[in-house]
Amino acid sequence: MIRCEQLRVTFNAGLPTERKPWGIDLEIPQGEFVTVIGSNGAGKSTLLNAVAGDIPASGGKILFGDKDVTRIPATGRTKEVARVFQDPLAGTCATMTVEENMALAYGRGSRGKLSFALNDKLRKIFREQLSRLNLGLENRLDAEMGLLSGGQRQSVSLLMSALQPSSILLLDEHTAALDPKTAALIMDISAQIIAEKQLTVMMVTHSMRQALDFGSRTLMLHEGKIVFDLSGEDRSNYEVSDLLELFAKARGGDEALDDDKLLLGS
Amino acid sequence: MSLFSFMGTLEIGLIFGLVAMGVYLTFRVLDFPDLTVDGSFTLGAAVTAALIVSGINPYLSTLAGCFAGAAAGVVTAWLNLRFNILHLLASILTMTALYTINLRVMGKPNLALITDPTVLTPFEGLGLANMYMKPLFVGVCVITVGILLALFLKTQYGLAMRAVGANKRMAQANGIVVKEKVYAGLALSNGLVALAGALFAQTNGFADSTMGIGTIVVGLAAVIVGETLLSSRKMLIIIFSCIVGSILYRLAIGFALNADFLGFNASDLNLITALLVGLALVLPQLRKEWKAKQAAIKANGGDA
Repeated sequence: MIRCEQLRVTFNAGLPTERKPWGIDLEIPQGEFVTVIGSNGAGKSTLLNAVAGDIPASGGKILFGDKDVTRIPATGRTKEVARVFQDPLAGTCATMTVEENMALAYGRGSRGKLSFALNDKLRKIFREQLSRLNLGLENRLDAEMGLLSGGQRQSVSLLMSALQPSSILLLDEHTAALDPKTAALIMDISAQIIAEKQLTVMMVTHSMRQALDFGSRTLMLHEGKIVFDLSGEDRSNYEVSDLLELFAKARGGDEALDDDKLLLGS
Repeated sequence: MSLFSFMGTLEIGLIFGLVAMGVYLTFRVLDFPDLTVDGSFTLGAAVTAALIVSGINPYLSTLAGCFAGAAAGVVTAWLNLRFNILHLLASILTMTALYTINLRVMGKPNLALITDPTVLTPFEGLGLANMYMKPLFVGVCVITVGILLALFLKTQYGLAMRAVGANKRMAQANGIVVKEKVYAGLALSNGLVALAGALFAQTNGFADSTMGIGTIVVGLAAVIVGETLLSSRKMLIIIFSCIVGSILYRLAIGFALNADFLGFNASDLNLITALLVGLALVLPQLRKEWKAKQAAIKANGGDA
């Protein structure tokens, strides 16, 4: 479970450009899959980064279950939190091999040992996992990560995020940089993994379609606050066009919908 | 080049193989260009020599020299991580400070070890001429250290260290404490370089306050020459290529100085060094450009 109580993040503290942060109150029960939408600068990624610990909270609290993690840095939260970044290059090390990258993820939460990072037992696990992708990567364990395409790298990042048991998965527009076919594949596998491991998920997306099709709850952020929170029957009756209308309303209504072409992506 | 000078070149090449491993760790593994090595090479030599002269066991003295070097690495890492001083600048500060520290450690600009026992003493008089025994001893040391380093880089800890250099954000997202790995890496790197200094002092019979000047260039040259000749992802081969690169670099310098038709003499060493390192840096780039050009010509030919 993730709970945010009056969570605040201040940018440019003390400078003329300082923005007054809104306190975010949010509770996501264990096993819920939440999609997060909002225009650029709405605070979607900031919210995710604050939950992951990359950005320190300037006020309020973040709790995982009963555990207050507000003061724990990102590295200390990795036992609970796994993430996949938007940039396919950000989630893996280009100069290391596929199996080395996976071994790194496999060691998440239990690090620092002087035992060998790789062995045949692990390679077998990695091969099994990679074969789910149907990309033939199970035969390329010793290929350098940098030689793989962006889609392949993102697929591996996704598998890596699920190699260790964790309870929370943060997806930050993890299909935005991919072609539609690969994006669909990645979303498919994401959904599989999430169902399998019953993860608590926050997925930021720019695609209204994705926001409604996946998960069981949708949040819209605007200027650092949650402007609506859809779930249950309400949400299942929503169409992309309804969402866009809400979106326009949240932004003040007079902005042309043309601006939102980006958001219409299938 | 006579056999005698060849064996001498081999010996120095092997010793600087340790420097190359240290430089590989910082420049390549951690992506932390570290110039501390110019000071830690001398520090290793100075501490070891000073302890030997005062009657301490040479093996213990060598170990102490390594730890002194590691401590210097930690200082550089601290300046960078704690105070956000640019890594290059932090290492230059440490290196500058070490120059004075080395003079203080030795008490004078140089210390002779001619009559004192060294790590080589137990092997003298075993029937092998010094000219062969010294490179053999150094070779066994360097190769052992190289194998241990390659194995280390394949452990969970070593893998985490490589991830820190390759992609900090990813390392962090996987629970790796970046700072700790940088501290450990710089300590290890400078420890290796100090070991090289300690061995150099003992095989050559002296420690000198200026002996470390240019260590970084030599180490970098060895890494680059090795990488150019033997490119591999296998850790053992990468470390081995550091040693081979170092020996080849020494041989190239020796050849340049010995070849009469080139007209160089010993005082031209720095220019030759710079030319060789420059060449080693430029050639891979030119090769890449040439290959790209060939590929473009081929592609255009196909279209026509």
